[in-house]
Amino acid sequence: MRKLLIANRGEIAVRIIRACREMGISPVAVYSECDRTAPHVRMSDEAYAIGPSAPGESYLRIDRLIDAAKRSGADAVHPGYGFLAENEHFASAVRDAGLTFVGPTPDAIATMGNKTAARAAAIRAGVPVVPGSEAALDANVPDAEIATLAASVGYPLLVKAVAGGGGKGMRTVTDPADLAGAVRAARSEAATAFGDAAVYFERRLVRPRHVEVQLLGDTHGTVLPLVERECSIQRRHQKVVEETPSPVVSPALRASMASAAAAVAKAVGYTNAGTIEFLLDENGRFYFLEMNTRLQVEHPITEMVTGLDLVRWQIRIARGEKIDLDPVLLLAPRGHAIECRVYAEDPDNGFLPSPGRITCLRTPSGPGIRDDSAAAAGLDVPIFYDPLISKLIAWAEDRPLAIARMRRALDEYLVAGIKTTVPFFAWLLAQPEFIDGRFHTAFLDDVLAARNGRPFAETTAETEEIAAIAAAIHTALSAPSTGDGQTAAGAPARWKTEARLESLRGL
Amino acid sequence: MHYEIEIAGRLRQVAVTRTGDGFAVAVDGRLRQVNATRIDAQRWSLVVSAESKSDMPARVSYDVVTTPGPVGGALTVHVGSIPISVVVNGRRRWRRRDEGAGSGPQRVAAPMPGKVVRVLVAPGETVRARQPLVVVEAMKMENELRAGRAGTVSEVHVREGVSVDAGALLIVIQ
Repeated sequence: MRKLLIANRGEIAVRIIRACREMGISPVAVYSECDRTAPHVRMSDEAYAIGPSAPGESYLRIDRLIDAAKRSGADAVHPGYGFLAENEHFASAVRDAGLTFVGPTPDAIATMGNKTAARAAAIRAGVPVVPGSEAALDANVPDAEIATLAASVGYPLLVKAVAGGGGKGMRTVTDPADLAGAVRAARSEAATAFGDAAVYFERRLVRPRHVEVQLLGDTHGTVLPLVERECSIQRRHQKVVEETPSPVVSPALRASMASAAAAVAKAVGYTNAGTIEFLLDENGRFYFLEMNTRLQVEHPITEMVTGLDLVRWQIRIARGEKIDLDPVLLLAPRGHAIECRVYAEDPDNGFLPSPGRITCLRTPSGPGIRDDSAAAAGLDVPIFYDPLISKLIAWAEDRPLAIARMRRALDEYLVAGIKTTVPFFAWLLAQPEFIDGRFHTAFLDDVLAARNGRPFAETTAETEEIAAIAAAIHTALSAPSTGDGQTAAGAPARWKTEARLESLRGL
Repeated sequence: MHYEIEIAGRLRQVAVTRTGDGFAVAVDGRLRQVNATRIDAQRWSLVVSAESKSDMPARVSYDVVTTPGPVGGALTVHVGSIPISVVVNGRRRWRRRDEGAGSGPQRVAAPMPGKVVRVLVAPGETVRARQPLVVVEAMKMENELRAGRAGTVSEVHVREGVSVDAGALLIVIQ
């Protein structure tokens, strides 16, 4: 493998470029119209335009991606996560073009990407699944039949997209009266996001935790499970904070979850990196939820506690190499790692998207801190894609130290020009429930509802005074250049001159 | 120079005077000596001192970023990593639009740029508080915009499938 095309954008494209550089592989980028100046384009050896900004016309266009791969002479394609990462037709198209797909086989993607087929595979492997409907409901099933099926699964239940992932095409229904609307909304979202409107039902467990097991499988029949990730901190079914190891998983539970995960992966002949997601109930029982047949967003925390480079292993496995890692060490985490997904969203306005230009950026660094990002001052966060701008990761010897380190890093993190979820994380990591590890998948939605919109960016008399001082000095020095006649009117001419000089010097 | 500065709904009277190596700034009569050094177009390092030790702010050194807002006088000031919304001389610049928010027509505007995927109400329809009106898709998520209070829809300015800019007027409720 000499040249790798990355069929993605943003921080994950940058992450893969870095692995390529360290392995002596030439990275090839693709970009949509609005990504012309994005970091992944500037960091790669070659870059190819693949169409307009809307994902359906660029990053989801299999034909244009294959064409770019051929034009560049790449011999492999890495899909990243999202976009076409779990699309078996893309994996097939890459293979049919004579290129290596850095990921599992099209068959494994198809089986595990279909949530009902994946549940069947887990049952075959002897792993318990969350109770639910075994068959998919396509768009033609009448409402009455849907209602009967829902009643047999039992409320509260989840309507989930068969092709789903990342919380899209998913709705919780507590009251049967809301069922039809929820099914409609889930289908519409699923059709837009995945091109498949089929949904199924799953019983909603009481206060479960989301715990997942990372796997690596090679083409020689070895499947190795890695230490679990705790991903229960979710907002509207989207993970926002992940950590490893889980504060509630004992070594014995870890061993049994790991072997269950490996059994499911082996049942479908899984190769490359993948993740088995489980729900863990309050009694320590776990249930297979689904498999993600790709690199996960939260893979860096596993890298921090195992010392592995998972992207490098993906590429090595795709090249046909054998995994020669010690299975015992993969389940023995070193220290503790936490990730915060920093989004371009306004936490004080219902987490509405906040796209736009980043005018100023100060990223944290120092001991144990990793910032996987594709954000830069002067660049726009486009409206077309996921609002993730950075993954902030903290590692330390133990969980309390990792939390302290993350809080320190959040304090250093400054993004101006757009709103971000940094103030929200600063609040969350100070909550006693988080510090004690007492939470479940609905915890965050519950506390957010209880807060009823109270702002996260809490100011004090001290910070307000400093803000007033800064605003006054800023206005005094920039008054003439902003053409604000009102404030400048009373100022002596000397002041104006000085201010102009000052702003010239400053700029 | 004298400014009226609003933060978190409270007005402060701020007077700024040039001194030898910086500024004397009085916030509601409390005087600070401030050495303000520009790092770049938006960043400042402030070193603050007070007349007496007991009156000192918690820190001496502050790293701040000032970002001009979309309208004159509006600023976002980051003190550390926390963004603080500031309005300078707001009363002089514009009449407060949020006055009397409990009466008069409700104008529902797009909070962010995006695509209208569903319009759930029509002119003449009565709506209850919190009823969903329009679904706008941005960044792959569908966001429901709801009525602030009950009323009758008088104007619908969008249809399904159109793209809207932030601030675009979507619906008016009487």
